[in-house]
Formats: sequence, C-alpha cells, structure tokens
Amino acid sequence: MDNPKYISVYFDDEDPMREAVKKLLAGRETIIDVLTPFPVHGIDRLLSIRRSRIPVGGFIFGILGAAFAFGFMTWVFTVSYPLIFGGKPFFAAPSFIPITFEVTVLFSGLAMAFAFLIRSKLKPDSRFNSPDERITDDRFVILVDAANGATPEKIGAVLSGIRTLEIKA
Amino acid sequence: MEEQFIFRKQYRNILIIIMAAALLIVLTVMIASGTGASRIWANILLNNQFFLGIALGAAFFVAVNRVALSGWHTVLQRLPDSMTAFIPVAFVLMLIMYFGMNSIYHWSHYEGYDEILEGKKAWLNVPFFFIRLIFYFTGWIALTWLMRKNTESLMVSSDLKYHNRRKIFAGIYLVFFGITVSASSWDWIMSLEPHWYSTIFGWYVLIGMFVTSLAFLIIFAWFLKRAGYLPQLRDDHIHDLSILLFAFSVFWSYEWYAEYFLIWYGHLPEETSYYITRLDDHKLLFYLNLVINFLVPFFGLIRVRSKRNLSWAALVAAVVLIGHWIDYWLMIMPGAAGEEAAIGIPEISMTLLYAGLFIFVVFRSLARGPLVVKNDPFLEESLSYES
Repeated sequence: MDNPKYISVYFDDEDPMREAVKKLLAGRETIIDVLTPFPVHGIDRLLSIRRSRIPVGGFIFGILGAAFAFGFMTWVFTVSYPLIFGGKPFFAAPSFIPITFEVTVLFSGLAMAFAFLIRSKLKPDSRFNSPDERITDDRFVILVDAANGATPEKIGAVLSGIRTLEIKA
Repeated sequence: MEEQFIFRKQYRNILIIIMAAALLIVLTVMIASGTGASRIWANILLNNQFFLGIALGAAFFVAVNRVALSGWHTVLQRLPDSMTAFIPVAFVLMLIMYFGMNSIYHWSHYEGYDEILEGKKAWLNVPFFFIRLIFYFTGWIALTWLMRKNTESLMVSSDLKYHNRRKIFAGIYLVFFGITVSASSWDWIMSLEPHWYSTIFGWYVLIGMFVTSLAFLIIFAWFLKRAGYLPQLRDDHIHDLSILLFAFSVFWSYEWYAEYFLIWYGHLPEETSYYITRLDDHKLLFYLNLVINFLVPFFGLIRVRSKRNLSWAALVAAVVLIGHWIDYWLMIMPGAAGEEAAIGIPEISMTLLYAGLFIFVVFRSLARGPLVVKNDPFLEESLSYES
C-alpha cells in the first residue's frame, strides 16, 4: 500500500490496548476506531465518543406506540365497534394497559433496531471491510489515522513499553 | 486514610431536638384533641412498617449483591449495612403493638360468630401472631447481625473466611427474607381487613420495601457526599443506584397494577372491598400514590444524565420516599383507623419521631468503623468501577 489510510496496531488483551489509547491520544495522534471482540467498558469515554442518541429515538417511539395503542383501542371499543365485556364500560381503561405496554415496547424496540441499522448503513448486502479477520476472534485493534504523517515506526516509538503484537500500515 | 464517619454533636443534637419536639406534639395532640386510640396505634404500626422496611430492604440489597458476587457496591456497603442496625429497635417497637392489638386488629376481639374469621383462626390468633413476630425478628436480627459482624472482622483482618461466611449468611437471609416478609405483611397489614385477601400482597410489600431502602440509600449517600465523606463514591456508583431505583419503581408499579387489575376485572365483592374503601374516601391519595411512585421516578430518572447527578437523584428519591409512605398509609390507615384516617399533625409528627430515631441509630452504627472496608476482596473492583 503506497498511501495507507490508517495504521493498525494489534493487541492480545484489553489492558495494553487501553494504555495504548491513552498514550496515542497524549501523543496527539488521531484514532479512527478501536475494534474489539467484546465490549470494553469505558473505552468510548476514553475516545470521547458522543453518547448514542438511539435511546432518545426509543423513548419518542415508545410514547408514540403508547399513544397509538391506547388511542386505537379507545376508538375501536367506544366508536367503531362497542361491545360489552363482563359488564365493564365501553371505555375500560385498565384492560387497555397490558396491550398499550406491549405496543410501547414493540415500537420502541423496532425503532431502535432500525435506527441502528440505518445509522450504521447496514443493508442486506452490506459487506464489512475488516482490516483483519482476527478482530472477530481474539484480537484488539486500534486504527490510527495516517493522514497527519503517522508511520508504523513513529507509532511504535510512541507505544514503547506497551505489549503490542504487530504494527502495520 | 482510614476515613471514618463522625457522628458529630451537632447532628446528635438536631436529631434529639427533632425527636423530642415530635414526641411532645404527638403527646399533646393525643391528650388535647382526643385523637382516637386506633389512629395512634395505626400510626405506630405504619411507621414501624415503613422504617423496618427500609432496614430490611437494605439488608436485602447487601445480601443480593454479595450472593451475586457484585463488586460495584463494595465502596458503599457500609451504608446499607448500618441501615440494618435499626431492625432490633423495630423489634421492640413492634412488640409494643401488643397493647394496641384490640384497637386496630378487628380479628383479635370480635364478638359473635364470624364464619370467615372462624376459618382463619388457626393463623390469626393473638398468641401465634406474637410467636410469628418473634420468629421473624429473631431471624432478621441474627442474620443481619452476622453479616455486619463479618464485615467488621474484614475491617481488621484480611482473612478471606469472613468474606465467605458473609456470603453464606446473605444466601440464607435471602430465602428467609422472601418468605417472612410475605408472611409478616399478611400478619401486620393484610389482617387489618381480615375478610379481604390478595395473593400478590406480600410481593407488593416486599418490592415497596426495597424501593424505600434504595431511595433512602441514595439520600444517605447524598448527605455523606455533601458532608465531604466518601470521595471514592463516584457518579458510576450513583448511576447504578439510580438504575435500581428506576427499575424497581417500575416493578412496583407492575405489582400495583397486577393487584388492582385482577381485582377490577374479577369484580368479586369480597375482593373489591379493599379498593372501594380507598377510592371512595381517599381518591386523591389513591391516584397520587401512582403518580409519585411511578411517573416521578420514571420520567425523573430516565435520562443518563439525571441518573448520574446525585443531587437530582436524591431529590427524586426523597419524593419516592414520601410516595411510599403514602402507599403504606393507604394500605394501613383506612383499615386500621377507619373514619378517622387522615394525614394530619399526628401522622407527620409521629413520622418525624421515627425518622429521627432511625437516622440516629443508623448514624451511630455507621460511626462504628471506617467508611470503606479496606480488606474487602471486591474493593479494588469497586474503586475502578465504570458504568
């Protein structure tokens, strides 16, 4: 590769990787991404990644779902097709609650799942351009931006003293 | 760096003044306005139950965390631990109920023939009531004492056996607590209206207890942080406490609804009597209960930022604490005090008296050792905990 976009640094454990992230940031390198085989606690805070806004979407769609389910049942049982069940009034609010709850969860869950797929640009034929297949297995990788003159040698010097497996462009 | 909570004279004096003033008001109101005996006894029962619930829920919190081998709570474990020190005091206060039995428990002295009470006589009779009461308290006091004692041993020794013992007692406590809290809630609360019964009642009370103790724990942590203690307690720990308060408030609402919904749907006269009394006479409190205990923590703590903000979480927790007091009020008062049921000066001053006593006992217990148990094997995990 003549003009590499990033330099990947490999680790076999999360602790050296965490140390390396701190050192790289202190050395004013730009980290594009960190790839790990399992969620590493606190790494997003280290990288100062903004919190995901997906919960907000989940909340809004949850409210919509609750309003939709409750409103729909109210309309059906009082306007469209009033029936008497067990001597209860047409507008029997307590009996609407379980379904309202279910639809709230459904709306909220589906909205969050689709919001995630859309924001991550995942569609049925998406391919993942993995820098290395081992990151889905047991390797931890930091991708350092190569645009501002970082080279494997330079990164290696910054990370001296930390156990890395491989640094390559 | 053995940081220790000091029960300062200033706190002590404030608490004593509050207690003395409250006691004075209670006595004056009792004598001057001729408040009915059943209302006074119902008040005592209500506050016994409320503050005992906080203490038992705190023991439940510690036990559940120890059995699950959780590390995050270790830094704040002495707070719930010291809250359990109130249980022996509650035992004495509950025994006093012996003199008030006839004022509030209809089943203890009825005249004539009552088929339902006759059928329940094997369980609901005065001697067996107190045998059970002593049995519950013996178990609670013994197990929480053993858990506290082993924690105290960990303050001086680094022997892992104390930690393991604590874990075993926690496991026993969980089983014992689950059964006895259900049974004690039938005894002390449900039997106020002995013709009525609800199978979910014990669960409902148990969850209410846990919510109150989480709420108190958050306020307690807020107080200690404000006073400059526990620098190790970070937003990450508060976040988890708030998550628990949020989740168990929702679970409480679920229990509330499960009880109400089935009785409403079934519409059987012997079951609806409970809700008819409350909806006829105390409609406002009935709905306020749901708003305070469900909507306030739900919307108040739904955002991450509000969960991590200790002052805000403590404010929500204070509202929830009042809400659950109202919840107990709704469970106990209409059945025990009947027409006299109200929230007035006797209720408020009696609660202040109990609150002062509770905080006094808790502070005294907390001051007995360092705030952080330095030999706890999970301490390191707790100090570097991130959520």
